[in-house]
Amino acid sequence: MLDTILAILHMCIFPGGVFALAVALFFKALDRRIAARVQRRVGPPLIQPVLDIAKLLTKETLIPRTAHRAAFIMAPVLAFTGMAVCAAFIPVPGVYSGLTNMGDLLVILYLLPIPAIALMLGAAASSNTFSSVGFSREMLMTLAYELPLIMILLAVAMLVGKETGVGAEFSLANILSYQAANGSLGFHPVMLPAFVAYMIFLPGTMGVAPFDIPEAEQEVLEGPLLEYGGPLLALYQIGSALKTFVVLGLGVALFFPGTLCDFWPVNLVWFVVKCFLLMLVTLTVVKAATGRFRIDQAFWFYIKFPAVLALISLVLVWWL
Amino acid sequence: MSGTKTFSMPLGPVHVALEEPVYFNLTVEGEIVRKTHLTSGHVHRGMEALAMRRNIFQNATLVERVCSLCSNSHSFTYAMVVENALCMHIPERARYLRVIAEETKRIASHLFNTAIQAHIIGFHSLFMHVMEVRELMQDMKETVYGNRMNIAANCVGGAKQDINLKKQEYILKQLELIEPQIREIQDIYANDPMVHTRTYGLGLLPVDDAIALGVVGPVARGSGITDDCRKDSPYAAYGDLDFNVITETGCCAWSRVQVRLRECYESLSLIRQCIDRMPEGDIRAPLGKLTVNSAVARTEAPRGEVFYFIRTNGTDVPERLKWRVPSYMNWEALSVMMKDCNVADVALITNSIDPCVSCTER
Repeated sequence: MLDTILAILHMCIFPGGVFALAVALFFKALDRRIAARVQRRVGPPLIQPVLDIAKLLTKETLIPRTAHRAAFIMAPVLAFTGMAVCAAFIPVPGVYSGLTNMGDLLVILYLLPIPAIALMLGAAASSNTFSSVGFSREMLMTLAYELPLIMILLAVAMLVGKETGVGAEFSLANILSYQAANGSLGFHPVMLPAFVAYMIFLPGTMGVAPFDIPEAEQEVLEGPLLEYGGPLLALYQIGSALKTFVVLGLGVALFFPGTLCDFWPVNLVWFVVKCFLLMLVTLTVVKAATGRFRIDQAFWFYIKFPAVLALISLVLVWWL
Repeated sequence: MSGTKTFSMPLGPVHVALEEPVYFNLTVEGEIVRKTHLTSGHVHRGMEALAMRRNIFQNATLVERVCSLCSNSHSFTYAMVVENALCMHIPERARYLRVIAEETKRIASHLFNTAIQAHIIGFHSLFMHVMEVRELMQDMKETVYGNRMNIAANCVGGAKQDINLKKQEYILKQLELIEPQIREIQDIYANDPMVHTRTYGLGLLPVDDAIALGVVGPVARGSGITDDCRKDSPYAAYGDLDFNVITETGCCAWSRVQVRLRECYESLSLIRQCIDRMPEGDIRAPLGKLTVNSAVARTEAPRGEVFYFIRTNGTDVPERLKWRVPSYMNWEALSVMMKDCNVADVALITNSIDPCVSCTER
């Protein structure tokens, strides 16, 4: 019973729910400010993402007459809850060691595509031409970036498993303790290609330039999100914000989980700083410096670069 | 539908990637556009009818408002056609002043189109950068002519305002500032891998099709056709100035942008030559005699050839004023360029002809 309550608290308050959302919205504001400075604009105030969501929540919910009502409403709820649960599995090194101690990497792997699937569900349910084009693009993108992700996670699990003698280690807590004892995987030469692949995976899964293809405003008018507005759109945005936290947190946990000291607030801040740096390099700077790929170009890009890089790490782990 | 896997997709009339309203009905198969049907007429304002109710001086103001980016080309050509009908000769200095205004607008227009291309491929930093550089030209127009878009530089019989020495110095200073920045922009558009992958080889318009469709301006020159009114039938001071007609042989969206950016250098050089060679003297000629007459005039606007026809009946209200704009000629080329293209590229290809819907629909 206590475990269940604790698990729910982890999903709602820390590290999922409130904490993840606060961090992610703060990151989003910083991201927008930095991108604005690169383009020599002032940029919005730091509170803007919160205001955006607050505004959406007060708006009326409009559902197209031709839409499939239940699926249309369920999709954003699915995206939000999926990510809130997933955030609870993200360990904060030195503060929180994750929801379970067994196979949580696999759970994350299954939970991560939920926002994308929810987006596809919503797109299909909203019966709009642009949404359906967005649907097919989202599906292609998901296929493209999930392949390298699976190989990256497998490479990490096999490396740690091999060293500790259990075959493949799918427990994040054990991966963290292995790294605490043997140094971060990000500095491990064999894991370097996998880390680069993970960095390329980030803009794809977050749908930012140059991979903002499913929601390309100039091409398909926000695609799957076109028919959404009000609280339902807010749920999508919250889900997407939580996903930012999840993928950045996972990156830090897998490759750079080092802690500074035994004092937990310092470790917490250090974790957030590392997440921010990862976002700065992979999302903000890339977004400011690139345009948008066409869907076929993006698909082949993912097959050519991150998938091959992840495969190199995987093969190296296998052989060495 | 008829059992195939195609569906129809509306694009416009109001769409993020379109600056002006035009409606494409695309027949799409997956992500490939199989058929394009274009409907326009959303910004028809009956301007030719309005022109027949105003006198020749009021019309100078009216035609400048046909469109914003090539507004000067309209008042320029209109002034020329009226002068032809009235058998007038404009002062030497006015001919140079007109070229300065025209080339300033050309640079601003070309940079605008180039920026929009970056916007459509989602390259927002580049978009902001090009617009910022364009702002130098906007500042120049505002300082010299007092307005950012409709600069009212031309009037029947010459130029509306003189450019004194102080303003000439200012113009030269602005040109110094903008030239290295345009070079940088041209380099980005030519070599940036992202811009290159999205635009190179896109929206092909082979030379044969270009000639058959009679395309004009940068669209023709991007397909390797040497076609420029400024050279073919020199008007104003263009006959006395040195410049090259820029062509590219790629026949694609990338080539068209390169043509536009390289033309900016020619425009910069033209403005410098004008300031250098401009003789002193009057800027306006007295009005000629209104008779029953008809005349034509053509100039090279940023988008290509603008053609004006006027018929006067001896009164100050023209009996007929008719104009044909470059976008009208270039529209048809879209069906060739969009053959089996990607949904993602429709807006990009449309932008590559630098369409001016307001001009076309008048």
